[in-house]
Amino acid sequence: MPNGFQAVRKRFRGVRNDFRGVRNDFQNGRNGFRGGRNDFRDVRNDFRTVRSGFRTVRNDFRITADLYYGLAFLLMPDSPAPQCTFMPGRREFLGRTGVGVAGLLLSPALLESCAPASSRAHIRGSLRGANKATGHRLWHPDKLPAPTSTRQTDVLIIGGGVAGLSAKRWLHRHGHHDVLLLELDQHTGGNSASGQNEVSAYPWGAHYLPVPDNRNQELLDFLREAGTITGFDAAGLPIYNDYHLCHDPEERLHIHGHWQNGLVPELGVPAEDRSQIARFFALIEDFRQAKGADGRDAFRIPLDESSSDPRFRELDHLSFATYLDQQEFTSDYLRWYLDYCCKDDYGARARDVSAWAGIHYFAARKGRGHNASGADVLTWPQGNGFLADNLRRQAAAGILANTLAYRVQETPSGATVLAYHADKGTTTRIDARRVLLATPQFVTRRLLKDVPGRPAVAPPFHAPWVVANLTIDGLPQGPGQPLSWDNVLYGSASVGYVNANQQDVRQGTQQKVVTFYWPLTEAPPDQARRQAYRTSYDEWVTQILAELETAHPGITPRVQRADVWVWGHGMVAPTPGFLWGPDRPRLAAPLRNTFFFAHSDLSGISIFEEAFYQGIRAARQLLDAS
Amino acid sequence: MGNALEEAPVRRPAAPAADHLPALLLGSVFVIATCGLIYELIAGTLASYLLGDSVTQFSTIIGAYLFSMGIGSWLSRYLGGPLLKWFIRLEILVGIVGGFSAPLLFVLFEYVTSFRLMLYTLVGLTGVLVGLEIPLLMRILENRYEFKDLVSRVFTFDYIGALLASLIFPLVLVPQLGLIRTSLFFGALNVVVAAVALYRFRETRTYRRRFSSGIVVALLALSVGFAYANRIMTYTETLAFQDQVIYAKSTLYQRIVLTKNDRELRLFLNGNLQFSSADEYRYHEALVHPAMQALPRARRVLVLGGGDGLAVRELLKYPQLRQIRLVDLDAGMTHLFQHNEMLLKLNQGALLNPKVQVINGDAYQWVRHDTTRYDLLVIDFPDPANYSIGKLYSTSFYRELDKLLAPGGLMVVQSTSPYVARQSFWCISHTLAAAGFHTIPYHTYVPSFGEWGYVLAGRNGHWRGDAGPLPQGLRYVTPATMREMLHFPPDMAEVPTDINQLNNQVLVRYFEDDWGPYTH
Repeated sequence: MPNGFQAVRKRFRGVRNDFRGVRNDFQNGRNGFRGGRNDFRDVRNDFRTVRSGFRTVRNDFRITADLYYGLAFLLMPDSPAPQCTFMPGRREFLGRTGVGVAGLLLSPALLESCAPASSRAHIRGSLRGANKATGHRLWHPDKLPAPTSTRQTDVLIIGGGVAGLSAKRWLHRHGHHDVLLLELDQHTGGNSASGQNEVSAYPWGAHYLPVPDNRNQELLDFLREAGTITGFDAAGLPIYNDYHLCHDPEERLHIHGHWQNGLVPELGVPAEDRSQIARFFALIEDFRQAKGADGRDAFRIPLDESSSDPRFRELDHLSFATYLDQQEFTSDYLRWYLDYCCKDDYGARARDVSAWAGIHYFAARKGRGHNASGADVLTWPQGNGFLADNLRRQAAAGILANTLAYRVQETPSGATVLAYHADKGTTTRIDARRVLLATPQFVTRRLLKDVPGRPAVAPPFHAPWVVANLTIDGLPQGPGQPLSWDNVLYGSASVGYVNANQQDVRQGTQQKVVTFYWPLTEAPPDQARRQAYRTSYDEWVTQILAELETAHPGITPRVQRADVWVWGHGMVAPTPGFLWGPDRPRLAAPLRNTFFFAHSDLSGISIFEEAFYQGIRAARQLLDAS
Repeated sequence: MGNALEEAPVRRPAAPAADHLPALLLGSVFVIATCGLIYELIAGTLASYLLGDSVTQFSTIIGAYLFSMGIGSWLSRYLGGPLLKWFIRLEILVGIVGGFSAPLLFVLFEYVTSFRLMLYTLVGLTGVLVGLEIPLLMRILENRYEFKDLVSRVFTFDYIGALLASLIFPLVLVPQLGLIRTSLFFGALNVVVAAVALYRFRETRTYRRRFSSGIVVALLALSVGFAYANRIMTYTETLAFQDQVIYAKSTLYQRIVLTKNDRELRLFLNGNLQFSSADEYRYHEALVHPAMQALPRARRVLVLGGGDGLAVRELLKYPQLRQIRLVDLDAGMTHLFQHNEMLLKLNQGALLNPKVQVINGDAYQWVRHDTTRYDLLVIDFPDPANYSIGKLYSTSFYRELDKLLAPGGLMVVQSTSPYVARQSFWCISHTLAAAGFHTIPYHTYVPSFGEWGYVLAGRNGHWRGDAGPLPQGLRYVTPATMREMLHFPPDMAEVPTDINQLNNQVLVRYFEDDWGPYTH
């Protein structure tokens, strides 16, 4: 019995215990719930954050994974090198767990060993180009539809690049409003094309203008209208808009693993090379100040203003490389730098361009402003798109974009031009009293094949270019000068990249757009062009990133977008004999007061000032003929 | 023999060695209770340090912790089999999870975006494990005591442990050991409880060896953590600071770190001291009052930078002001100074004042588009240490500011140290002059900074140091102080400099030259 009683008591105790337990549980639960409700809100918020920014949480786990991964990798050096598993962590993480690991994981060799999809899978973008599809229809004009409408105009300008726009603006300012301009592409501007994304505007081509020579009155007037010159000081010097003058730091060169200030190699350059470099710049200074027997400057922009003194002109007969050899400029550092300069301005190497052109690059810069010197440049996020847009704005009416002029015929009262509208698929016949061709010479030649009297001159050398705009959320880099406007890699085939956000005055913008420039000068232009057209988007991105990784190990995961533009005919190169030979004036001369010609090809140097000048020159000839 | 043990789950454990064993278990209740509360306090403190707003943090952490304990208690019913084995296992687990909670949270804080999610997950896990302990112990002790004695004893020890924890935590542990070591130390205590139970109860023999190795590994890990606590702190950057770091956060733009000692609170942005609560009044009084006392009819003020609200606090001493607009890039910064208790005390809730409008945006962008006219502009940016900030000290920027200035208005620019960075200071002054302003450079001594400089600028030279009355209760600025501030001894006297322009950022180079010898 006592046992039985105890058992009952025990059972009762158990029940009571259970009851208390439940009550306790309940009380605990209630207390917990009260606190928990607030907590729940936080958690709910967190979940919202998680849901909306799932990527951030994934990042958290990546960071944790990285931490372990990095540790494991460091602890087991014999383990196979990780392949494509690297997850980009935050910059701080990379910094602290050792750039070494990240660098190793991201070295170009490993990139290649990875399946191409995995390391760059996050990069979005596309391959673009000047409207090649429409442009190449010019090769088969018979396949284009017959005209279904006609239109009359006094002046027809073919080509909406800087020369065409400049000519149109000039005519407009001189009372010629019955002007129609045809542009093959969707946008005018030619090599000054630009783009825009949520981070920044960016250039697709030409992206700066050196502070111009104050004798170039037309250009100064234009810059005043564009707001780039805000006024003139008491001495008559132009005051440049501070937001348009390239902000500091301007240039840096990646050399021997370090970013040095300026582009002329200095860091780790031996004394002998340095003295050659100094000698070269002393020579350039002489040329800069030199005047010919005719009293004109030896080198000027526009180049037609330069002296005709044979002492200087004869420099056009030999290549820049030969000239440098003759002058015993043998330093690899100097020669690399000069090659870089020729590629940058002419899309060709020192061996391809004339010595006159090579020297002109340096010796023609004579600008001066109240707040700027000849070494300063003007730049905008969208590059020279700013200038092209301002040119267009000053005479905006009468522009037909997406329109290909494909046949030109002379008539008793002028000319008839067939124009194909790419978006509508129709053709219009345009009757014009005068036609101004602001097209590159290989296009002009084809357009005028039915028009007699045009000199038979082989089209000049046009190098293909690749331009890539990369949207990045950070730029891992080694020691030295921070991100600058122009960033060049010593020894590289490219001419480096430009920071499109350089003129941005905002603080702490992590995301940037950098524009990478690469003239394809390894092969002859035709061959390089064909090869460029065959290269796929992914191949371009691979090559560009491999190049950037050398100076920025770990940049690949930081690239969010990469858009690539292939310029089949990037720019004219001043090959020996072209600038001061017989062809240039013949190509630029009007034909029977009906056909006029404007293009930087006619200068032989593809810079904004020349295209602007050529447009005005042709427009003046046209006005004189009227 | 394992079977024999496992089939007797509710029976009293076979033949305890002596009667002191229940006492041992009750002793462990005491330890467990202490540990349990310590983990809770650690989580609460850490959350307040790292996230600010201690009331909310403590409240939600305690709530989450207690609720998780409730879940643990409820789950305890599902634990069957040899309870002692469960208990030992549990203690080891609590030791590891609870012990590593503080170091883990410190490290995670730097890297994860949704820190709260991680925090509450860890708090919940610890809570569940701790919640299992007492019910489990009560079941183990069930047959050794009368129920009323059992409940009475267990809870007595539980609450005494809690009291002890709550007293030693703030008084001894945090000051002496720091959070990370405290956490690891109490983790080890939990594991020691497991070890004692393992060796004092005979029925643990069958699994003693297996559990021993677990205990050794756990203790070893905790001791290594304890020994390397400093390294962990270094890893979390906190040892870079002299004092205890009580808040650290990386925002989109900068890293904010608050440190504290007995005397003062210090704020660092990207490792650079912004103020010390002990003497910031000198800096901020000198920034605001020389200009404000000369503007008795001022209505509107624009403050650029200064997200700590300390300059605004000084401005609010002038009742004639109708609107103070503060533009600071970093929402993380202004949020901190609108919510953190200690900091609200420091800036007297300045950023919550109805006269004050806080805008999180880019200052340069703002001034280019603002069309309001202000009587005073207070420019309190970080020093021009890089090309990006250098743009905020350029002629172009100052010309934009000129457009915002009401007739007779003034602006004042914090201009780094005229003693250490003499060229930089005078460069700022000359740049303002080049932008068309009359400038009045002055300086003051702030003990935690050293000599510090400002430039007062206006369209005309009408400023007077004794123009208007100063607010009551200033601790530093008086008419006499203002006269002194205008005098530059020879070692800080004016030097010729270039003008800082966007296309030639000489100031950043001066600044590097000036501060270089001090930072290398």
